[in-house]
Amino acid sequence: MTGSDSNRRISLALTFEGALLLCAAGAQGAEAPIPHGKLELVAESQWVTPGRGFSLGLHFQLEKGWHIYWLNPGDSGEPPRVTWHLPPGLTLGALEWPAPRRLGKSSIVDFGYEDAVTLIVPVHAESNLAAQPLASLGAEIKVLVCREVCIPGKTQLSLTLPIKSQPPPPDVRTREWFAAARKDLPRPAPQNWEFSVDDAKDSFVLAANLGAQITQATFFPVAEAQIDNSAPQVLLPRPSGFRLTLRKSDRLLKPIERLKGVVVLPGNRAYFIDAPVNKRDARNNKSNGGIQETQSSKEGPRK
Amino acid sequence: MKRSTLFPMIVTVVICIAPLLVAAAKVGRAAPDFTATASNGKTFRLGDYRGKYVVLEWHNNGCPYVGKHYKSGNMQRLQKEWTGRNVVWFTILSSAPGEQGYVTASEENAYLAKMQAAPTAALLDPNGEIGHLYDAKTSPQMVVINPEDIVIYDGAIDDKPTTDLSDIAGATNYVSLALEQAMTGKQVGMPSTRPYGCSVKYSDSTH
Repeated sequence: MTGSDSNRRISLALTFEGALLLCAAGAQGAEAPIPHGKLELVAESQWVTPGRGFSLGLHFQLEKGWHIYWLNPGDSGEPPRVTWHLPPGLTLGALEWPAPRRLGKSSIVDFGYEDAVTLIVPVHAESNLAAQPLASLGAEIKVLVCREVCIPGKTQLSLTLPIKSQPPPPDVRTREWFAAARKDLPRPAPQNWEFSVDDAKDSFVLAANLGAQITQATFFPVAEAQIDNSAPQVLLPRPSGFRLTLRKSDRLLKPIERLKGVVVLPGNRAYFIDAPVNKRDARNNKSNGGIQETQSSKEGPRK
Repeated sequence: MKRSTLFPMIVTVVICIAPLLVAAAKVGRAAPDFTATASNGKTFRLGDYRGKYVVLEWHNNGCPYVGKHYKSGNMQRLQKEWTGRNVVWFTILSSAPGEQGYVTASEENAYLAKMQAAPTAALLDPNGEIGHLYDAKTSPQMVVINPEDIVIYDGAIDDKPTTDLSDIAGATNYVSLALEQAMTGKQVGMPSTRPYGCSVKYSDSTH
């Protein structure tokens, strides 16, 4: 522990020295230890160009067995929280979260990341940014790192980027991290896909019409306390997609209008879902408990 | 007060509901009964406290979210305030042997003394039986049971799901809110929240 800490300190010092040497040429990187891992604030491109967008990344590398959390952490834990300090002229977009994994197999299931992950933040540089030669970007990060036990960490990172008028080349060192994160980012579902959700008493049934049979899907809710995180998600393949039964959370005391989240399909393809929840109506309740009837009626042709 | 007339009715309701309880406690339903040995060696049965408000607090002394509320003195202050107002407060230790937060009775007694904690009792639950009965997910998860034996609150201790001591000052404490509202005859405004914190360290063999 002490040895690895001092190693980290040395590598940190080397990074700063190296960065100073590189300062005139390109981006000045920043890295700091976090509990059982390290965190780097990186830019995707070597400099900032006024009038153009670019991306910043928070690259987490964790020791084997340790994890951090998605924006909805699931049953326990807490997502990383970032406070940014940017010079005037730079505007931040929303933090982009790659699709998480289910962590834990018991009655407590969390959503998060193991090994390494890059959270991406799009930044827009206004066209009148040219007043200073360098842009200094800072971030304060609070992160909870867990294995069986949890350790909170808090760190500050800063990154100095030159401002140049010509379009920037990508930073070769960070390119793969951004590419890997983008591959796992949820994307909007194709226009011809249809998702609907039926309220089936103790469960929500997410029906997906994608034009092809799907045999594996995992749903991650954006909101807490809507579904029972630890309950198995039961998938029924359909000729044109799938039907996924999600047990409701005991904490869900009121009906919800929409179910929002991310669905991960085979090949780690992740898509955003924001589907209206069809209420159980009296007709379906009378017929046969509502579940089958409600589902099959949704399979029919569109009106 | 009205308890004498209410009591037979409550008993009837509880008897009728009891067989319906499959496993976990749910807000608005009867609180599952349990018996446990406390760190002080005494035996406590939840059912013996019908007629009083009861708070259940899931505890793990190594969890930083629990640490936030003990190092700041917040938990002890709540324990003193509410036990002073005739509320029964059970701290529950559901960590399995070998897991973080597992303690022997004497270790827990030393911790209670050192932290100047003031629950009615600290109940030892190394098999996770009470934890599973209430589907406790985290420490510090909090449950409030009313004198009629109904769960009226289940969830987080407050609305700041962090490990920062500085967040306690501006937080809305859901336990105090539920108790204040219930004691003044009001509806509990937030009966269920996500219980933030560390996962309860049950032994894997129980699943």
